[in-house]
Amino acid sequence: MGITRRFFSHWQNWLGLAIVLAFVLMAIFAPLLSPTDAETQTPNAQPYLKIPQPPSPEARLGTLPDQTSVFDSLIWGSRDALRFGVGVTAIVFLFGTLIGTIAAFFGGRVNTLLMWVTDSFLAFPIIAAVVFFQQVYNNLLVALLEQTEFAGYYSYVLRTPAIMETIKPLFTPLMKLNPTALAFALLMWMSYARVMNASVMSMKQMEFVLAAKVSGAKKFRVIFRHLIPNAIAPALVLAAKDVGALVVLQTTFSFIGLGHPTPWSSALLSGKDWIFSPKGIVMYWWVFVPITVALILFGVGWNLLGDGLIDAMNPRTVETN
Amino acid sequence: MISANNSMIILRRLFFSILRSVLTLILITAILYASLMVTPAETRASLYMPKKTSPRMTEEMYAKMLQDMIDKYQLDRPFPVQYLSWAGNLIKGNWGYSPNLQEDVLTGLTHRAPATLELTFYAIIIYFPLGLLSGVVAGNRKKGVADRLFRTTAFVATSLTPMILAIIMMVVFYITLRWFAPGRLGTAFSPLIEAESFNSYTGFITIDGLLNKNPALTLDALRHLAMPALTLAFAQWAILGRITRATVIEENQKEYIIAGRARGLHEWTLAWRYALGNAAGPVLTHTILSAASLMTSVFVVEIIFSYPGLSTVGVKSLALIPDAPSAMGFAIYSTLLVLILTSLLDFLKAVVDPRLREES
Repeated sequence: MGITRRFFSHWQNWLGLAIVLAFVLMAIFAPLLSPTDAETQTPNAQPYLKIPQPPSPEARLGTLPDQTSVFDSLIWGSRDALRFGVGVTAIVFLFGTLIGTIAAFFGGRVNTLLMWVTDSFLAFPIIAAVVFFQQVYNNLLVALLEQTEFAGYYSYVLRTPAIMETIKPLFTPLMKLNPTALAFALLMWMSYARVMNASVMSMKQMEFVLAAKVSGAKKFRVIFRHLIPNAIAPALVLAAKDVGALVVLQTTFSFIGLGHPTPWSSALLSGKDWIFSPKGIVMYWWVFVPITVALILFGVGWNLLGDGLIDAMNPRTVETN
Repeated sequence: MISANNSMIILRRLFFSILRSVLTLILITAILYASLMVTPAETRASLYMPKKTSPRMTEEMYAKMLQDMIDKYQLDRPFPVQYLSWAGNLIKGNWGYSPNLQEDVLTGLTHRAPATLELTFYAIIIYFPLGLLSGVVAGNRKKGVADRLFRTTAFVATSLTPMILAIIMMVVFYITLRWFAPGRLGTAFSPLIEAESFNSYTGFITIDGLLNKNPALTLDALRHLAMPALTLAFAQWAILGRITRATVIEENQKEYIIAGRARGLHEWTLAWRYALGNAAGPVLTHTILSAASLMTSVFVVEIIFSYPGLSTVGVKSLALIPDAPSAMGFAIYSTLLVLILTSLLDFLKAVVDPRLREES
């Protein structure tokens, strides 16, 4: 059986693919599904209302306490989620794969050194990195506040023009960076490097690679034309699973106050106090159920897709799974 | 049994594992310090600040002090110079003063470490045996009822993020049943551990309560530990169980198991002594590699259940006033904990797995 046929022979894979496609379509057609962008929408005409409103024609899944529509947050949040998940995964995938392949290809000391660095990074908890980068970000922000008219608020920071000159060129690009994305990009590539390293190691002595080497192919060509395409399957599986896992982790972090808010996490946060209401928890279900379900489905969909890819690309593992 | 020669090999392994940890720590702190170099020199100067001498110190005086620090530690010099002098201070125990915690960073961290360790300890006690048990049972009855049940539960456990699990737990055990509560101690008991008559032997309130002959305190601490520990254990159990299951299935296909079965060894012996014994290596390796993500989960759960552990330092460092020393201290301290855990597990692996002793 071919890869595609094997992939479509399990209902779980269909489900995974359907969920992921649903989110992709939701992200693409967000302007059609909900004309108001959750980020720019203004609270409703009734600012005195501070209670989540039940589903109505204007807000199809009800509103949050600040009168923003849950439906809008859900739809537009899928854009942010996909952008974050796919973007960060692409970075770690490229970097990790490259490190793992280069280490395995050159072997010996290079391999030992690169893999040691990889293992070293494994000892650093990601939450500490998020806190740390957020701190760096805050410190830069304070430096900006100094320069503007808000100065005096943090006046214990020195006002030296020379320092501002050194920071300025770095400033604009750094402010655009998301601390969570930065932390993930720095600390999520190791599994790719390890997987790729093992995969290339087992492939390095195979005939087709040796043949390519003997026929005088350049190292660059051997790596990119022969080794990577043949050894990439496990890393691809990892990437599919990571897209969902990274978004779930990001939302969790921003729910507990670390990193920038996303539409999903800010919707969950603003509805947090309404989950347990005096009238029972089902009273204001729309403040947390839709977003929570979307988040779980996002993680599950990509996870199923990853599992399906394992089965499809490596028939032997069907037995153990 | 472990002979003298073998114990030498294990000790050598331990030594190299510690050496590797130290090198790792140097690499990570160097990267952290390098990232801090993009911020103005005042931020780095705050890493050396001692406790504010007087509460009446004006902001001008503080600014003057910062300027003195920049001059003293040459914070405009190149990276290696700055890093070395900072690392030297770190070893001396000067981790800076945190304006948000209102105390020295190192003291703040060491105060809170026992709470985190207690939570981690109870979570491990719950999930480690259960994970191994369900992994072996599911692996031996592949595609059976137990296996299907395990796989479904594990899938649910890994899909539910801690925050969703926390909401469910709070509704069931805190609001409805009133069994457990968030936080670390109830209001009736928290003054008790601050009292002079209370001797803190271990820092674990559950154990200290018994040692101080106050079982009610232990019970209250357990009541508060239950929700975070269970939340943590649930997800970790699923991960560990899956790894164990996969390794056991792999081991079961090997020839020594078939040979054992042919000789008439009991299935029980085969599963629990031979398959699990040989699966212990891969399982421990996986635990070593994911020690840092265990730490992350511990912190996430702590924050969700407002459990006052190490994560408080990290969260408070982000409150209002920029506070580089405590963010830095939090990062280094948690890395240190991960490295200690990793070394211990590595040692355990050498003791458990005879093959590793022979190799080197």
